[in-house]
Amino acid sequence: MSGIEVDEALLILKIAFIVLLYLFIWRIVRSASRDFRTGGGGAQESMIISPGQAASLGPSKQKRARLVVLESPALAPGEEIPVDAAPVSIGRGGQNDIPLDGDEFSSARHARFETRRDGLWVEDTGSTNGTFVNGARVTTPRRLGRGDVVRVGQTDFRVDL
Amino acid sequence: MPYADPYLLPLAALLTAIGVTTIYRLEPDDAFRQSLWVVIGVAFFAVALVVYRHDYRRVETYKYLFGLGSLVLLALPALPGIGQTVNGARLWVKVGPLQFQPGELAKILLIVFLAGYLRDKREVLAQGRLKDFGPLLLIWGAAMLVLLQTNDLGSALLQFGIFLAMLYVATGRASFAAAGLVLFLFGAAAVYQVVDHVQQRVTIWLQPWTEEPVFCAQTGAQALRQDCGSFQLVKSLYSIGNGGFGGTGLGQGTFTTTAGDPIIPFLNTDFIYSAIAQELGLVGAAALLLVYMLFIARGMRIAIRADDGFSKLLAAGLTFGFALQTFIIVGGVLRVIPLTGITLPFVSYGGSSVVANFVLLAGLLLVSNRANAQHTLR
Repeated sequence: MSGIEVDEALLILKIAFIVLLYLFIWRIVRSASRDFRTGGGGAQESMIISPGQAASLGPSKQKRARLVVLESPALAPGEEIPVDAAPVSIGRGGQNDIPLDGDEFSSARHARFETRRDGLWVEDTGSTNGTFVNGARVTTPRRLGRGDVVRVGQTDFRVDL
Repeated sequence: MPYADPYLLPLAALLTAIGVTTIYRLEPDDAFRQSLWVVIGVAFFAVALVVYRHDYRRVETYKYLFGLGSLVLLALPALPGIGQTVNGARLWVKVGPLQFQPGELAKILLIVFLAGYLRDKREVLAQGRLKDFGPLLLIWGAAMLVLLQTNDLGSALLQFGIFLAMLYVATGRASFAAAGLVLFLFGAAAVYQVVDHVQQRVTIWLQPWTEEPVFCAQTGAQALRQDCGSFQLVKSLYSIGNGGFGGTGLGQGTFTTTAGDPIIPFLNTDFIYSAIAQELGLVGAAALLLVYMLFIARGMRIAIRADDGFSKLLAAGLTFGFALQTFIIVGGVLRVIPLTGITLPFVSYGGSSVVANFVLLAGLLLVSNRANAQHTLR
């Protein structure tokens, strides 16, 4: 093979590499800008089925769990807090999903609510004064039923499934 | 991580691939070590994702520990015995056969600390009373101390820039950022007067070429500056110029003299951008910068989408740190700002940098996973 042929082959490879590089960038820009146009709140395109979608695809459609505030020095009574796939932490301090500022009996990291496949669970995350379900202290993670009353500090929640 | 941003990982993978390819072309031995570091980095990345898959926000509880850890790491190279001076800057720690740059990891710890601290104190800071500026002045002082100790303008600029950007994100007051910049300029000017090494860097940057021989500090003799202090920078500029629009093609660039010696020292760490610019040309170098831009745009978007203050600050800080580091090194190589030796994220040869950047990537993915999950489910 003569030197000119090698040079031409290298040139073609070089151009192909650059074209591929830009194609990659172009695909990402296009795909990402579609994501922007949906207003940021829209569902993200992904090849992976999210847990939420998976639940709605299956035969047993899970209903959303909610916590209704009954009595609290920190939250307004009647307020409803949805519990979704992501765990919800509760305690005194802004790093929690449900901050209980003003509830002097709650700990900084008091408890956590979590939706599992078989329902809503509550777990005490090392609180000082304890977490109670219908008056009984929670020591290990416990599954909640409809109408259960959960007490965290001086705050009472009713479980709504 | 079903909801994590789908673009960050492919972008990081592309950058890593370009990096390893270029290093292989320049120093095949280094490429093997770099691949090993990539594996270690990915291991860190995976561990971070698994450990914090439920809730990464519990690191906020340990924010002061992170702050302290970052200061300790920054101070390590200054310690006698394990600290090492390479190329005039004291940034290295050597323990036995292991050599690393703790500043890279200190950067991430600092961002975690600042995200936690600023989320706590943002309301107080936003009022702008003078006494609340204590921490700002403290960190400014610390950044200056690091600058003096390590003789490295780049790290100080990076750490302080991250701090200002996060302060701005937390309080929304541009005047703070402006005040901080003025303080930094004063500090840098003072250090310029005192420290010889910094003066040299600035002279090299402003006047890389001389027509008359000047005093050369390295050899102690008279020489043209392009043959002495600014040798590296000037050769790097020639390298970029040699690439032209389309580049010479991979493997076709000129990096060694006819005798086989490397033309540019530190080509696969600090100057890897000029190697890429020569072989892939303007189009390739621009593509590389576009990939960085996309990465940064995604990171900022994650910060916008995040719901709570800590996540927002964390994502913004990590993204800004990444962006500023890229700017400092590419700007330095292109003679936009004085050159300081830091790594080009994911591309440059360097173990600590690769590991730190994979940890950074894990952080962004964790924040985006949580933010997107909440948006989708609500």
